[in-house]
Amino acid sequence: MSVMRLPSGVYHETYVQDHAWWQTRFVWVRMLILFLLLFVGIPGLGNLYIVSVANIVGYTILSALGVQLLIGFAGQVTLGHAAFIAVGAYTSAIAMLQFNIPYPVSLILAALFAGVWSVLFGLPSARVKGFYLIMTTMAAQFITVDFVIAQYVSRIGGRGHYFSLPPGTISVGPWVIDSELSTYYLMLILVIGSILFMGNLLRTRIGRAWIAIRDNDIAAEVLGVNIVRYKLLAYFVAGVLAGLAGAFWITSLYFVSPEHFQWSWSLWLVGVILIGGVGSIYGVIYGAMFMTLVPEALKALLFLLTQSPELVALFPFIPQLLDKFLFVKEATFGLAIVLFLLYEPKGLAYRWWQIKNYIHLWPFSY
Amino acid sequence: MPELDDGVQLSVDNLHMSFGGVAALRGVSIQVRQGEIFSIIGPNGAGKTVLLNCISGLYRPQRGKILFEGKDITHLRPYQRARLGLSRSFQKIELFRGMTVLDNIRLGRHIHMRAGLLDGGIYLGGAAREEIQNRDFIEREIVDLLEIAHIRNKVVGMLPYGLQKRVELARALALQPKILLLDEPMAGLNLEEVEDMARFILDANEDKKWLVTGVLVEHDMGVVMDISHHVAVLNFGEKIAEGAPEEIQRDERVHEAYLGEKEELYVTRR
Repeated sequence: MSVMRLPSGVYHETYVQDHAWWQTRFVWVRMLILFLLLFVGIPGLGNLYIVSVANIVGYTILSALGVQLLIGFAGQVTLGHAAFIAVGAYTSAIAMLQFNIPYPVSLILAALFAGVWSVLFGLPSARVKGFYLIMTTMAAQFITVDFVIAQYVSRIGGRGHYFSLPPGTISVGPWVIDSELSTYYLMLILVIGSILFMGNLLRTRIGRAWIAIRDNDIAAEVLGVNIVRYKLLAYFVAGVLAGLAGAFWITSLYFVSPEHFQWSWSLWLVGVILIGGVGSIYGVIYGAMFMTLVPEALKALLFLLTQSPELVALFPFIPQLLDKFLFVKEATFGLAIVLFLLYEPKGLAYRWWQIKNYIHLWPFSY
Repeated sequence: MPELDDGVQLSVDNLHMSFGGVAALRGVSIQVRQGEIFSIIGPNGAGKTVLLNCISGLYRPQRGKILFEGKDITHLRPYQRARLGLSRSFQKIELFRGMTVLDNIRLGRHIHMRAGLLDGGIYLGGAAREEIQNRDFIEREIVDLLEIAHIRNKVVGMLPYGLQKRVELARALALQPKILLLDEPMAGLNLEEVEDMARFILDANEDKKWLVTGVLVEHDMGVVMDISHHVAVLNFGEKIAEGAPEEIQRDERVHEAYLGEKEELYVTRR
C-alpha cells in the first residue's frame, strides 16, 4: 500500500477515481499491453518451451499467493503450504477419477476442501505465535502428505501409488486441457483471477483487518477485530488458493503422487516471497519469475558450456553439473536467499518501487 | 453494589487487579455519566492505565464488575466491547505505522462495515459502495473535524509525534463510540498541540453529531481542571477522592498524594 503519486495535471474528482487501481490512462495502456502480451504474445511465439516455463511461473505464483497472504499480510508464519496444494490436487483428481465430476466443479471442491483442511491446521494460531507456529505448520506438511495422503488417500481405487491422468481426462466443457498451451490459458485465468481477488480483499474490510493483526494485534482487537476469526479466515483463503494451485497443477501432470508435494516445495515458496518481497502481491509475481527463470537460465548456460569441447576439457565437471542439475538448482536457491536477506531484504518489489520513484523524480532524483 | 442513578453510562464496581504480588487496583469504583468528561488522575504507578485497560478489556480484573449501559461487560473480549461502543487511544501510540493515515482511520470503521469474503474479493456493488460511503464519512466528519486533510495519504510512521497522537484520536473517533477512553492524550505535546487536542476532545464531547462521553487519564492538570466535569484521583490502586475539579483542587488528601507530607517536601528541596 504505497503512496500513489499522480502526474501533475491529473486530479481526482470522485472517491471512485481515488479508490481505483489503475488511475491514469498511461497505466490503462500499460495493462492492456501486458494482457495482450500474455494472451496473444507468448502463445504466438509458438515456442512450447517458453509456454512450459510460463506454466511453472504461474503455478509458483498460485502456490505462493497463499503463503504471501499468511506470512506477508496476516503475519502467520507457515512452512507447510505444499500440504494444502496436495489436498487440492488429490481432491480434484479423486473427484474426477472416482466420481466422474467435471473438472470445473472439482476445482471448486478442491479449493473449498483445501481451505477447510488449512483452517484445521490454523487452529493452533489462536494460541501460539512465531517459532511455535512454524512447528505446527510443519506438522501439517508431514501429517497431510507423508501420512494421510501417502498411506491412505493414494490407495483409494486400488491404483497403487499413483493416480494416473491420461491426456484427455481433464476438460472444461468441450475444451479439453491436454497440451501445454491449454494449460497455459487455464493458468492465466486462474492466476489473474486469484490476484484480482486477493488485491480486492486487501483493499476492503477483511484485508485491512489481516494487515492490522500483522502490525499490531492489540490495537486491532481494540478496534473491534475478532483476531481468532480473522486469523482462521486467512488460513481458509490461503488454503483455497493452495487448493486451486494443486487442482490446476494436475493438468500439466500425467499422474499425481505425494512426491510432487514435498516439504522442500513449502520451503521454496517461502523463498519465493522472501526474494520477491514480503507483504506485496507484486512480490509474489517477481519472486516466482526470479525463482523459475534464474535456474532455467543457469541450465541453458551450463548447456552452452558443454557444447564447447575445449571448456569441457578444461573443466571436466561441467557435464556432471548438468546431469545433476537439481543440486545446482538448490544450491542457487540457498545462495540467492542468503544474498537477498543480506543486500535486498525488502525484496524485488521494493527495488522496483524505488526504480519507479527514481524515474518519477528524474532529473531531480537522489 | 450502589444503586445506579440516572445517566450513569459506565460503572466500574469494586475492581481488584493484581500482577503477582503487586496490587495495581484495590477496590476501585467509578461512575461515568452520559455526556460528561471524566478524568482520572494520580501519581505515576497509581493504577490509572490499568483501570483503563480493564475497562477496554485488555486486562481481566480478578474481582469486580464493569457495567456499560446497564450491561455486564466484565467478561467480554475487547473486540466485543468495541462493537458495543467503547473506543480508546493508547499512552504509547499504537498506530499501524506502515499504513497511511487514511487506512488507519478506515480500520477504525471496521465495526461499521459488512463486506464479506466473496463480496470484498469481487469488489463490485456492495463492497465498492461501502468503501465509498465510509470514505465519505471519514472525509466529512473526521478528517475535517481533526484538521488532518493535508496528511491523509502520508504513511503514519513518518509523521511527527503530535500528528500521530491526532491520528490516533481520529481512528478512535471513527468507531463512532459512545465512550472514548483516552490514555494520556496530551503526553509529549507542546502547548499549541495540547490546546488543539483539548479543543478536539471538547468538540467530540459537545458537538451534536458526536456527544461522546470522555474518560481521560491525564497528567496535565491545566487541561484536566479546565475540561472535565468530574475528576477521580487514584493513589496506590485506591480511589482517594472524587468530585468536581474545584473540590479536587482543595482536597487535602490529593495534595498529600501528589506532594507528599510537608517535611518530606523540604528535604527534597534541599
